[in-house]
Amino acid sequence: MTKALDRAARDHGARVRAALAARFRDLDIAEEAFAEACARAVTAWAGETPRDPVAWLYRVADRAALDMVRRRAVRSGATLPDPEPPPSPEEELMADTRLIPDERLKLIFVCCHPAIHPEARAALTLKLVCGLSTPEIARAFLLPEPTLAQRLVRAKNKIAGAGAPFEVPGPDAWPDRLDAVLSTIEIAYAKAHEDGGGSGRHAGYALEMLGITATLAALVPSEPEVLALAATVRFAEARRPARVDAGGMMVPLDRQDPMTWDKALIAEARPYLARALSAGPPGRRTLHALIHAEWCARSSLDAPAPWRSVLVLYDALMALRDDAITRLNRAVALAEIAGPETALEEVDALDAPGLADFLPYHAVRADLLVKLGLTDAAMEAYDAALKLGPERAERLWLEGKRAGL
Amino acid sequence: MQYMLLIYEDETAYGDEHDSPAVMEIIQRHMAFGEELGAQRKGGAGLMPTGMATTVVTRSGNQTIHDGPFAETREQLGGFYIIDAPDLDAAIAIAKKLPVYADGSVEIRPLLGGTD
Repeated sequence: MTKALDRAARDHGARVRAALAARFRDLDIAEEAFAEACARAVTAWAGETPRDPVAWLYRVADRAALDMVRRRAVRSGATLPDPEPPPSPEEELMADTRLIPDERLKLIFVCCHPAIHPEARAALTLKLVCGLSTPEIARAFLLPEPTLAQRLVRAKNKIAGAGAPFEVPGPDAWPDRLDAVLSTIEIAYAKAHEDGGGSGRHAGYALEMLGITATLAALVPSEPEVLALAATVRFAEARRPARVDAGGMMVPLDRQDPMTWDKALIAEARPYLARALSAGPPGRRTLHALIHAEWCARSSLDAPAPWRSVLVLYDALMALRDDAITRLNRAVALAEIAGPETALEEVDALDAPGLADFLPYHAVRADLLVKLGLTDAAMEAYDAALKLGPERAERLWLEGKRAGL
Repeated sequence: MQYMLLIYEDETAYGDEHDSPAVMEIIQRHMAFGEELGAQRKGGAGLMPTGMATTVVTRSGNQTIHDGPFAETREQLGGFYIIDAPDLDAAIAIAKKLPVYADGSVEIRPLLGGTD
């Protein structure tokens, strides 16, 4: 029984919440009403699971939402709308999952509205679209639960108060708005990816990212950047089993054993990338997916690492967006092709605010300094990286490198 | 909904003369913008420079008068519009078209009670 409820809530929760939000134009009501329906299902389904669990949840949530709207109206002294008549037998028969309008795209766009702070957008999307609980999201964002809860409330209030529309934006706004959606998913995925082990506080969370990118690709099948992001998340997740060794230490990409990568996920990623590539000249996210694809094409640790093609792709990426992070990533490949001295020159020439607090900057510099035999400077760079408090897997890796000097 | 669009620009860009070429140009552009807005424009005005500003500050019941604007910032409030727009996205679209002379920022604020 609860299994049926869990599955229905997990697989179709977003669709039900989205349909409710579209109907009542209120994210709070959609969320509360769906929670209420799930709570009622616990007892109502104790005897027998309904024929169509999702339709049941939608119908019950819809009525709960109507009650909430009425109670609010009473509080604000407005005249009461007529109560809804109880469902007729015909309506009961009609209720079917297929009749619930698919408003998920609208829900995604409103959660990712550019008028909302980017981190709050990611949290809101995880909450409403992916159905994660507030404690789960708080853990992922390393925030105290009340802080995150407050951010979610503020974001929902902003959406309601500022009049953000519950609509898929028109063609003029589409490029900007879609970019906000994709960046939000990237922020959310980065939170899941930081945790190399994947067994800890992000277990299951990364699966949501596979789900939401698949949903988005199904809803917007002709946007190459959407398809590319779906590919990237799959390529990156495929490598999860290899990212940490038995002792819990991080394994860098070029030392990961391709035999341990998830072949099924890689196979799932490739068609997304192929479709993205056939849609026109590659954008930033398509190039990122291509870099992942290069790595995921490696068959074993004996096969050469694809540094040369990775460098070419980073060059193409720089032509689209020349920023410190792209340059830093490119320098790693550059070191393998042009040597560590050239790469270190590039890294030392970087100038961006916040670079000193960016852990990969110190980690990459430290590795290059080691290769050049500049032990003292490397030691300092490892210390700087460790001072920024990396997660356990990366900390063990950096400590190991430092101890080996 | 009704929104206020608050226009922030570096006022020094307009020079000291109130009929500088920059001022004349922006007035023309605002007139064209106002015409385009039509009935959606509910109100608005340009403001004199912050050199003309006086601020009344209340702290713990005590009131003091200060010469100058509420906050010293790189861009100053120079004018505002009140508009009628169906939703935030429509208001954003209008704010994007609002003329600024060089760099500038337009803050969009829903009016209290401006929902009908």
